Amino acid sequence: MPEIKKWAMDVRMSFEKTGMAKFISHLDTVRCITRAMKRANVPIWFTEGFNPHAFLTFAMPLSLGFESLCETVDFRLTEEMDLTELSKQIDDALPVDITVKKISVPHMSPNEIRWAEYKIIFNNPDELLLENAHSILSADEILVEKKGKQGRKKVTKEVNIKEHIRTYELEENDSKLTLKTVLSSGTSININPMLLIGALTKNTNTDEQDVDIIKVKSYTENMEIFR
Amino acid sequence: MVKKEVEKLLKKVQKPARYTGGELNSVVKDKNNVKLRYAFCFPDNYEIGMSHLGMKILYSLVNEREDAWCERVFAPWEDMEALMRENNVKLYALESGDALSEFDLVGFTLQYELSYTNVLNMLDLSGIPVFKKDRTSLTPIIIAGGPCVCNPEPMVDFIDIFLPGEGEEVTNELIDLLIEHKEKDSTRLEFLREAAKIEGVYVPEFYNVDYNEDGTIKSVENIETAPASVKKRIISDLDKVHYPKDFVVPFIDVVQDRTVGEVFRGCIRGCRFCQAGFIYRPIREKSPETINEQCRSISNATGYDEISLCSLSTSDYTNIERLIPMLFDWALKENINVSLPSLRVDNFSDELMEELKKVRRSGLTFAPEAGTQRLRDAINKNVTEEEVLRTALKAFDGGWTSVKLYFMMGLPTETLDDIKGIADLAQKVVDTFYRNPNREKGKGVQVNVSCASFVPKPFTPFQWEAQDTADMLIEKQKHLLSSTTSRKISISYHQSDTSVLEGVLARGDRRLGEVIYKAWQKGCKFDSWDEFFDFSKWREAFNECELTTEFYANRRRTYDEILPWDHMDYGIRKEFLVEENKKAHESVTTPHCRIKCSACGANKLNGGKCDARN
Repeated sequence: MPEIKKWAMDVRMSFEKTGMAKFISHLDTVRCITRAMKRANVPIWFTEGFNPHAFLTFAMPLSLGFESLCETVDFRLTEEMDLTELSKQIDDALPVDITVKKISVPHMSPNEIRWAEYKIIFNNPDELLLENAHSILSADEILVEKKGKQGRKKVTKEVNIKEHIRTYELEENDSKLTLKTVLSSGTSININPMLLIGALTKNTNTDEQDVDIIKVKSYTENMEIFR
Repeated sequence: MVKKEVEKLLKKVQKPARYTGGELNSVVKDKNNVKLRYAFCFPDNYEIGMSHLGMKILYSLVNEREDAWCERVFAPWEDMEALMRENNVKLYALESGDALSEFDLVGFTLQYELSYTNVLNMLDLSGIPVFKKDRTSLTPIIIAGGPCVCNPEPMVDFIDIFLPGEGEEVTNELIDLLIEHKEKDSTRLEFLREAAKIEGVYVPEFYNVDYNEDGTIKSVENIETAPASVKKRIISDLDKVHYPKDFVVPFIDVVQDRTVGEVFRGCIRGCRFCQAGFIYRPIREKSPETINEQCRSISNATGYDEISLCSLSTSDYTNIERLIPMLFDWALKENINVSLPSLRVDNFSDELMEELKKVRRSGLTFAPEAGTQRLRDAINKNVTEEEVLRTALKAFDGGWTSVKLYFMMGLPTETLDDIKGIADLAQKVVDTFYRNPNREKGKGVQVNVSCASFVPKPFTPFQWEAQDTADMLIEKQKHLLSSTTSRKISISYHQSDTSVLEGVLARGDRRLGEVIYKAWQKGCKFDSWDEFFDFSKWREAFNECELTTEFYANRRRTYDEILPWDHMDYGIRKEFLVEENKKAHESVTTPHCRIKCSACGANKLNGGKCDARN
């Protein structure tokens, strides 16, 4: 048996992915951060398999086109380090629109994530959307088409996402409509805000693509901020 | 920086990161603090263009200057193009987001003929008139470089200046000159007159071409300040020439996404079909210390976990046995993989094989190019069947179980027996595997035969040859399939129509400008992509211009015919190419440059020096 190399520290890096970085897909983000670690000479722990690679665990993949203020990635260090210094080092090696907020010792497991808060801005809402948004959100049922699989077959089914919307708040200014909402998130149930946007813009003339989506925070079951 | 109106479009396209810029190591300057803006355009999509080493070299070379800013531009994919046209968004450079029309120099690299329509499309998307005659102000000046520039004639209607040869020095000279003329507020013609005086600058409007009644060229006359023939530029000392210290690191997966170490330019082999083997002469090597240092710097600056060595035939590098351990020494410690493409079978040493075993094992590729010894001799691919099989055996011993074999069909003097020879050789490789007692147990062998269609190219001994017609190629492809019996062998080949068009454009004259324009107007673009290529549109364009593809592709030229590229000087003597052509028809080989110098003439470009003879 080969000797298994130990690591010295488990750490969690929180970072923001904003601006043009929203157009970097999840897999490309993983590669981008891996390379940044290499450039910054971070003593990151590599897997021991046939094909060793940097061991990185992202809490939740972020959809292409979304900005986020609350991304996290966990990794291991092979030596003890000053984490403030380390976060500066990595930040310098990252492209401008990905910013390290801090690196700390993780308190919770990514499995504990249950809710996510989003800020959704409709840049050009039409009259119909402005009129109907409230009543759609406050109705007992919010039906959306969710893509899924039945065995190998791809199917779309209609589901009610009402119980997955914990809170919402609508605000209109500068001819824009902003929706702040907390949706189910995590490994078991995850509601993509695009579903809600689809339900709101359906039967209106609002372009569902002309929307800015920002993930603001992740929470546990008890609405503790994930950290 | 992407403008707000573009950002909206990006939410609707595939792979939006193609169009955002902002990648690590991309260079952003203040446009008010530079005297010249240069847009380097690759006429294909982002993934292809970002893989190109030449662009990386020139990008960092120009950006090293304080007075100039070089940005990157690629051809948008059809979804993005449609949205851009619909919303009246002009093609922009990735660093600033500014439209190409705001630039002083717009440079295209012509790496393959089937990208020509994309050049027109990109100019049009930028709002720049595609015909040079419709561009009247001093800037933008449209320039082009790359291997296709050895016969630029089909593109002369669209490009102001061609730069044959290596661009590192001449680009700076041209930038200096354009800055000077911008400050003087010169006219376009005044600038072009001065530019034509620089060595290695071809200003096509200063050449008048006359044709005979049969369509061949009667005469080429140089006017104004233009020289009778334009000598390509080369860099004399590769250890001193600029090389990037970093690469722009793409967000999305591109074709070549790794550190590239350039090993040497030129080639000693003289394979008669290979244009690269002639147009990049004379051979000039970098020292292993330089290569090692450059690889290290780029790897540090990018975070890449792979290094690829780049040359036409890496095992011909005289210092390969020193370079490999030097690279492995630090790279393997840092979990960086080293790959060596373009290894030849005949000089694959045991030591090298041992070293290569240390790194992750990729497939093994051999390029015998032809199926029989007679034809390999005719094309001067000095590789014997015995060498191929011996190396295959070595590789199977080393644990490889899959081998890729590259061949060509449609080679001059080729018969159906030569085609059958391809299948026979592949079968012998399969047999070699099963006869080897040391083979990887419990595994089968996979021999992948890839068969390209031969296209005769300028500045090769085959520049006078008739290319096979599409029908002939299809017949040969069928013959190859029916000659192959083993399921361990898989055969793939290229679409034959694309090879015909490539051949026409490669050896075409100025009259093809109209054809290219018409084909583009009919919707041709991305011609090198099977899903876009539409030969029927090209055929219509030829008919409307009363030209035929047969005249350009399938006609055997005489040695004394004036060829469209005769006024380009690539150092290679025409008499040498004639000799090589005659030897090909007698299946007589020419030894490579280290065994014996064949006096090709290219060393005169380098003051008589050639690294094959030091």
